[in-house]
Amino acid sequence: MVDSRPTRTTKSYWIPTEAAGERVFWMSLEFSLNRPLKKGQPSIAEMALSSGSADEALLGLPPVVPPKIRKEAQRLLRPWPDSRYTGAYGRSGGILNVFTPQWGEPQDEVWAEKVAGRESKVFPDDQTRQEALRALENRWNTTPHPFFAGLTPAQVMVGGGPQEAELADEFLGQLTRLYDGRPFDSVGQALVKTLTLLRSWQSQRRKDGRMVLEIIVAERNELLARRARVLSRLTDSC
Amino acid sequence: MSRKSREGKRRRQARSGQQPPTVRVSSEYRRNIRQADDILSKEGIEIQPDNWQQLALDWFAPQEPERSELARYIADHAHRLGIPWARELLRLEVFFQGEDYEQIIAHHERAFSRYPCCALVEMWVADQVFRHAGDFWRARQMYRYAADHLPGHAKPYYELGFMSYLLGDFVGALGRFHQAAERVAPDDLEMAARILYNRGIMRYMVEGDKKAAIADVEEALRRKPDYPQAKEALRGLRGKMRWVPW
Repeated sequence: MVDSRPTRTTKSYWIPTEAAGERVFWMSLEFSLNRPLKKGQPSIAEMALSSGSADEALLGLPPVVPPKIRKEAQRLLRPWPDSRYTGAYGRSGGILNVFTPQWGEPQDEVWAEKVAGRESKVFPDDQTRQEALRALENRWNTTPHPFFAGLTPAQVMVGGGPQEAELADEFLGQLTRLYDGRPFDSVGQALVKTLTLLRSWQSQRRKDGRMVLEIIVAERNELLARRARVLSRLTDSC
Repeated sequence: MSRKSREGKRRRQARSGQQPPTVRVSSEYRRNIRQADDILSKEGIEIQPDNWQQLALDWFAPQEPERSELARYIADHAHRLGIPWARELLRLEVFFQGEDYEQIIAHHERAFSRYPCCALVEMWVADQVFRHAGDFWRARQMYRYAADHLPGHAKPYYELGFMSYLLGDFVGALGRFHQAAERVAPDDLEMAARILYNRGIMRYMVEGDKKAAIADVEEALRRKPDYPQAKEALRGLRGKMRWVPW
């Protein structure tokens, strides 16, 4: 007798724009890299960090994973720079940012303001100038950014974890139930409606009294802390 | 036609799940230009060396304070403007009246890049870029330009506030709504109501200041009694239950 149960359940969502659809896909990949393959074991991201090799860590992925996704995963698993985390511009930013139209350094008013402030200062020598730049970059990395829905670039870089994955699934389901099949006059209108719903949803409190936003930030901070612990172990063993 | 009435919903065939094309083929653009010229001709418009400024003002900015702003712009750049510019502006106005956002954006891109940037044009075209094309970053730049060059106008600040809220920057949104509230004209009841309602919600979300939020929403309802969202917000804010706006 043939077992007719599905081997895999796939979900489809209504997403307001093509670009957001693509980002939702990359968001899921970020979630996957932070999810331990087995309970109690490190995630692929942590394995890559401790072994120093993304290729080795990605051996844990099932063979059916296409090369394009493996390549993207390699990009996400690259070591972070000591300077500014410009890679954050190219990450999904998780469910809080996935619908925000793509932006980068040219749109980054926060960084532009910091640079302008630095340029107006006079430094006694090149070393002091370089130190000031590093300090500025570090501040950018760790300060909540208004265009990342209040996440810091470091929190964007680390990606979301299992809790955020569940929350994202919940929101995308809600969005789909509400808007799938509904007519919109334009892409902009669909985007504005989606973002309005998202900002309302992220402000809702859960049973433990925390807002969705707070749960997401706490989990990303925990992932950053785990990352720091792995790095610190590596430094100790040198 | 009042500029505010242009913010109404487009009456066009609804497309379920379909994304409208963002780039219009140039033959369609040219056809729409011809149609606009036909409309202007039927209206008896003849743009001449002695009336181009007047026509631009009467058609594009019939009301204050926009009229004065446009007059100032024309005076500052008269040597670079003239009949061709006025023709483009009147065509733009026809597209506004037809609520054809794709054509508004296409025409703005094609026709106005050769003239000095006009803050008033930027401000109104930005609405189409933001709310219809969904190009937040381009619209943001346009609103910022408008805010810098029309410092007494509330609208660019309000729109920047709304955009900050959509981006999830509630603190930034509150700041912009404060700036908009300081600038809104006393007789612009619609805009004032929207600013006050949104500022109230942000005060509640960012500062947890229920009292200030209620005061703002009440004030919004005084300006615009028929404002269902504000009525609902007021019920929520006055209630004992924990309430989430929107």
